[in-house]
Amino acid sequence: MAFIPFFIAIPLGAAFLISLAGKRFRASSGPIACAASLFLLAASLAIVKPVLAHKTLVYRVGNWLPPFGIPMIVDSLTALMLVLAGIVVFFVTIYSIGYMKPYTDKWKYYTLLMLLVGGSNGVLLAGDIFNMFVFLEIASISVYALVAYGTEKHSLEGAFKYAVMSSIGSVFIFLGIAILYSYTSTLNMADMAAVLMQKGPGMIVPFVTTLFLVGFGLKAGLMPFHAWLPDAYSAAPATVPALSSGVLIKVLGLYAISRIVFNVFGINAEVSNILVILGSLSMVGGSILAFGQTKMKRLLGYSSISQVGYIAIGLGVGTPLALFGSIFYLLNHSLSKALLFLSAGAIEHSTGTDELGSIRGTCRRSPLAGWASLVGALSISGIPPLGGFWAKLIIIFACIQAGRPMLAFLMVLASIFTLIYYFKAFTGVLFGSESEKSRPFEKALSPHMALALFCLTALVVAAGLVLLPGKWQALINGAVGVLSGGRDYAIILFGAMR
Amino acid sequence: MTAYILCLVLFSIGLYCALRKRNVVKIIIGIGIMEYAANFLFVLIGYRSGGRSPIYANDQVIKSMVDPLPQAVVAVAIVLNLSVTLLLVAIAIKLYEKYGTFDITKINDLKG
Amino acid sequence: MYANILANMVLLPISAGLAMFIIPERYGRLAKFLSFIIALGLFAASIYVFNVKPAFWPGVDKPIFMADTLSSFIGLGIAFFALVTLTYSFAFIDKDIVKYNSYVLITLGSSLGACYSANFLGLLIFWGVLALALYLLVNMSGTSGAAKASEKALVIIGGTDALMLFGVGILWAATGSFSMDKTHLPLDSALSIIAYLSIASASLAKAGAMPFHSWLPDVAEEAKVPVTAYLPASLDKLLGIYLLARISLDIFAMNSISNTILLVIGSVTLIFAVTLALVQHDMKRLLGYHAVSQVGYMIIGIGTASPIGIAGALFHMLNNAIYKSCLFLTSGAVEQKTGSTDMSKLGGLSKYMPVTFAACLVSSLAISGIPPFNGFVSKWMIYQGIIESAKSSGPLWVIWLVAAMYGSALTIASFMKLLHSVFLGRPARNFGDVKDVGLLMAVPMAILALLSIIFGIFAFTIPLKLFIIPAAGSAVFYIGTWSPGAATMMLVAGLIIGLGIYAFMKSKSFRTTTTFIGGEEPSSMDRVSGTEFYDTLKDMKWLGRIYKKEDSGSFDIYVQTKNLISVFTGVLQRLHNGVLPTYIVWCLLGMIGLFIVLFMGKI
Repeated sequence: MAFIPFFIAIPLGAAFLISLAGKRFRASSGPIACAASLFLLAASLAIVKPVLAHKTLVYRVGNWLPPFGIPMIVDSLTALMLVLAGIVVFFVTIYSIGYMKPYTDKWKYYTLLMLLVGGSNGVLLAGDIFNMFVFLEIASISVYALVAYGTEKHSLEGAFKYAVMSSIGSVFIFLGIAILYSYTSTLNMADMAAVLMQKGPGMIVPFVTTLFLVGFGLKAGLMPFHAWLPDAYSAAPATVPALSSGVLIKVLGLYAISRIVFNVFGINAEVSNILVILGSLSMVGGSILAFGQTKMKRLLGYSSISQVGYIAIGLGVGTPLALFGSIFYLLNHSLSKALLFLSAGAIEHSTGTDELGSIRGTCRRSPLAGWASLVGALSISGIPPLGGFWAKLIIIFACIQAGRPMLAFLMVLASIFTLIYYFKAFTGVLFGSESEKSRPFEKALSPHMALALFCLTALVVAAGLVLLPGKWQALINGAVGVLSGGRDYAIILFGAMR
Repeated sequence: MTAYILCLVLFSIGLYCALRKRNVVKIIIGIGIMEYAANFLFVLIGYRSGGRSPIYANDQVIKSMVDPLPQAVVAVAIVLNLSVTLLLVAIAIKLYEKYGTFDITKINDLKG
Repeated sequence: MYANILANMVLLPISAGLAMFIIPERYGRLAKFLSFIIALGLFAASIYVFNVKPAFWPGVDKPIFMADTLSSFIGLGIAFFALVTLTYSFAFIDKDIVKYNSYVLITLGSSLGACYSANFLGLLIFWGVLALALYLLVNMSGTSGAAKASEKALVIIGGTDALMLFGVGILWAATGSFSMDKTHLPLDSALSIIAYLSIASASLAKAGAMPFHSWLPDVAEEAKVPVTAYLPASLDKLLGIYLLARISLDIFAMNSISNTILLVIGSVTLIFAVTLALVQHDMKRLLGYHAVSQVGYMIIGIGTASPIGIAGALFHMLNNAIYKSCLFLTSGAVEQKTGSTDMSKLGGLSKYMPVTFAACLVSSLAISGIPPFNGFVSKWMIYQGIIESAKSSGPLWVIWLVAAMYGSALTIASFMKLLHSVFLGRPARNFGDVKDVGLLMAVPMAILALLSIIFGIFAFTIPLKLFIIPAAGSAVFYIGTWSPGAATMMLVAGLIIGLGIYAFMKSKSFRTTTTFIGGEEPSSMDRVSGTEFYDTLKDMKWLGRIYKKEDSGSFDIYVQTKNLISVFTGVLQRLHNGVLPTYIVWCLLGMIGLFIVLFMGKI
């Protein structure tokens, strides 16, 4: 229990260390970052057992009692996402050691990476809404700078658009926090839930819900707040979209929305409907737009928008099976998307471009990148026996069971579109023959990149096994319990904090 | 009450500026105005009528104090806004180097 | 425990196939040996399962795998065709041997898994794995045409797999369980009709019926012949019609509307595909179109809902798998020995490749429905089924009957063209160096051709009595009389008399000389290639237009879906003009929308 603050302290400390030592000892920044992320992964795995036993773990910073102090809370949902973030960050860091070789000033990259990890862990652990906002901003600022890392024309343009749109979103969130504070006089989330249960929502809570949905929806990449996503992803070095799509849009966007809407405000029919509508819009719009793309990373960005739509629909439908499905889908998508972005990065590393017409047939030279792309694409399209198939199955069955077959049919349609655009783009890359437009395959994959790709592929293939009864299924069920418990859960928490 | 309304008006002015102005610098200024307005709103929420600054003094009779929490929050928020503004300005400078213009409608290479 | 056999039959080839991935390419012969042993063992096991049916694993209550009359018969067919095409492929595939064998084993295991599955969840898993296996197998040809064909196949089969997921979800929500033997849903509500259509679309796509047929001709043309003979020709038909039979007979209770839908789909598939086949130049593509058209018969058979029609459909499925794979194997033999499958470049090969010619001749006659081969019996049963269904349905039965018979006539026409262009007539070039195929390729073709003959002559004793009628599940009453024994006697007598006349005439001496055309030399340009037989069809107004549209992909559901999506994509892409304020305006519009929704009730 006392090592909960280490989830934030270790990455921040590593960032500090890298910025001191990295300038002098150039080779040290990578290993320090890897060590820190390895420690985080181990810690997040170690915390699963206590969470399963005690349901929630609370750490009171400075031992101040609530509602005055700032608590750090680990419940099942948080623990699950900590593990997910730990896995993705660890493999991306290993991959970066090989991938970032052409770039200069690598210590800046690793510093920003560690700040990003610290920020996202902080959002996950926060029990206080303003604390969540601060860490959200830390993570966001780091990722704006990471997108601009190459300082090429397009990176800067993408970073600028991302930064402007995202700061507007953050300002909306801050405004929402201000108005909410004026109504409830507290910033502690569990306390807020208790006060709102007493006072009733009035006119303030719907207003603040709108502000939060806009702000966090923008971070999550839901339509119509999605427009920064493809631009930011297409120009950044491939590890940045892998982290962003695998960790940030889930943590900063979807996790924050679910925590606030389910546990603090209490879900009601209108907000559920909004989530379903926004989700359907993202799902269909993202896949239609992905169809026309000619660059791999931009296509994967639109695909992320589309998959986030599935998760939002699951949250909106709200039955326990739907919540289970959307959390499992979230897990699968993070791993598969990270794998896809990393393999796109490997192809880009070897040929110098990610334009689909120029990379035909490259996977013949590099079977590992080929298999990694194929497994990632299959998992997201929902082909058995990979994890993505199970996630789609559960979510579609949940929608039919909840009495919304049209929604399930829309999901099936979006699945078919997903198949079409992925294989229209990838078949040429995987199996096509090299044409005159193809770039020559210059560098082979470095061992770090190969290791990361291989491990992530194995994880994606094995993701379906999470559903078997055991520790992981219990954790996901616990997370479902957190969300479906709603505000009662926050009251339990309040009691646990004393 | 009017103070809150005026804060929201200031916020809308900032939003309009970020939306309609073409110059990149003006957009950054607009975002800054929005952030200041939000900070104002938060501090004003902490106001209690007749309250004094929230500092203990054993030798004085204190009737009421304003709420100290918003002031702490806004202090942190100002730092965050500063970082964002710094980053945005740095990107804008580099943008001018690469694109040769500050006009946001001309900086649209990434589209579709 | 004999019941454990079912699980082993499915899991053993899959694990062997996966394990084979790590064998380096040098040990190709080891891989071939392993896969042959496994295929042989599975064939023996499927015979055993067929004899001891029904079998449930792990128990009768919640079975994961079950082998009742229908699925044990299909399992036997799957194992048999796997063995035959595997033997053929040993002589045909010469590179990437280990990968090919591992994919084949995985496919075999998944097909058996899909066939023996007792619940829909298992079926879904194995069905999807099969789509993936097809994708990987087709791509082994390595050309960009193969890449496009595999992409189309994966999208169509995988997309209908997603539709099947939807249908299974409706079933599960309605009945609460996945198991196949306990559900029997009447088709009265909209939801159950949608469920039926969704699952049926998956089976239609796998079998290759319209409107999901467009992957089959492309795959037939581009993939390597053993792959085509293995998957689209035999296994896919077996599995697709198995699923269609399962949902039409067991799971759902059909009514006249759904039967009519099946009859329409079957007839359209039949006529349309065989018309398109008439003008093809490439041998494999022509065979692919015929594979599509033959499925039409099977669907008509199931749609008649009479016992004899359904039995005829199942029998036709088996026969089609036999003679279709034999035809593909012969086309592969031609391709390997002459280097091309373009029919205008071949001709006169019967002199050099007699075994291949004999197999092709037998299979062509069988597919055309010439007595006494097996194709005739199954088609005859389907005609009887249509006539039988005339008693219960309206006057539409005439359409189905005419369509079926007309399709048969066009099939004969098409195969006469194929036989003439490839084996008879004058050769396009000197084929003196062409020798017939070796034993490994000839034996499978001979076995399949012999099976066609045997199943035809002894139709009532062997296949119908042992396999089909038990699988169809109800007693079958024949309307007309067909005695294969008597007909065969008469045919053989006719052949002997004909041979006698030929020998008698040949014994008189003749003078052979070259053709006389007014003193000129007969040039090679005067050669009439069979591919031009039906070219006048292209000049007919409506047909010509249909042929042109087919070439441009108007009937291809994949191409049309892509075109439809690109309309929307174009609109949306133009909206994303890259200018930042536009994007911020969308956010604000979204916010206003949210306000409206959230505050609508309150104000």
